[in-house]
Amino acid sequence: MAASASSSYMAFSTAGMVGKRHLRNNNRRVLSVSAQQQQQQQETLEETTKVDTTNETLPVKKQPTTPRPVEPQINVKSKNMGKEYGGEWLSSTTRHVRIFAAYIDPVTCEMDQTQMDKLTLILDPTNEFVWDDVTCTKVYSYFQELVDHYEGAPLTEYTLRLIGSDIEHYIRKLLYDGEIKYNMRAKTLNFSMGKPRIIFNEDNKGSPDVQ
Amino acid sequence: STAVILYVYGYNYLRSQCAYDVAPGGLLASVYHLTRIEYGIDQPEEVCIKVFAPRKKPRIPSVFWVWKSADFQERESYDMLGISYDKHPRLKRILMPESWIGWPLRKDYIAPNFYEIQDAH
Repeated sequence: MAASASSSYMAFSTAGMVGKRHLRNNNRRVLSVSAQQQQQQQETLEETTKVDTTNETLPVKKQPTTPRPVEPQINVKSKNMGKEYGGEWLSSTTRHVRIFAAYIDPVTCEMDQTQMDKLTLILDPTNEFVWDDVTCTKVYSYFQELVDHYEGAPLTEYTLRLIGSDIEHYIRKLLYDGEIKYNMRAKTLNFSMGKPRIIFNEDNKGSPDVQ
Repeated sequence: STAVILYVYGYNYLRSQCAYDVAPGGLLASVYHLTRIEYGIDQPEEVCIKVFAPRKKPRIPSVFWVWKSADFQERESYDMLGISYDKHPRLKRILMPESWIGWPLRKDYIAPNFYEIQDAH
């Protein structure tokens, strides 16, 4: 199971390396099992959330939490462990969001599963939407907020699925607000989040084409 | 209720075991459908037993040791409604993924808002 899973993962990663969109983000995540980690993390988390949200005089738009910096790790080897050795493959995958409970090196795509306290988000590997830095960071900061919100929940596929669904709903909201658009040159253009239509905002979702 | 289950052991065939939710906020019922299989009988006699369990801590003794066919059926009742069967050898989720939270077929179950892959417009 582990060998086939790792080989399929490597196939995805080489396909994703063709385009320039390496959109990964690593995150610290607290397991409910290890109580010691939880204590340390909670202090740092409270600091960052307090800093971000309390200096608003007129809160028209909530300032998004910045994603925490990731220390790059060198020499990360794929350590896929089969179930016999106690490793677990926890992931939640949908079309635009893939979340893994592992550390995935952004350059070499080595997946290190021993570090299960991190979640890795792979955003839109098939490039159904057009992404730029602003929208990417929006999604990352939303992911950060979600992870902070879900802190203390058991690390199961169920919670990863909940997080993934929340991110998908957020992407859909961005689409309806006009901040991201469908990529018309995608290989599979099937408008999976709703056909483009004229909405009350000025920006449209796809090519407007109304005369 | 537990004594009744042992009492009807004259019936050697558990046709099916199912469970259902009586009312939202009410009891949970576990149903056993038993017949007697003998040689050369056209219309075997049947008995249907319902066991009601409270919603807070639904625990019913397992009939696995009496009729082996209750194995997967009781696991399904556990998975869908949360009725835990005592002394069942492998009582774990059988239809939903193992880490699922909640009992789907209860009347007060709310499915979380998971993302569907494609909107059908």
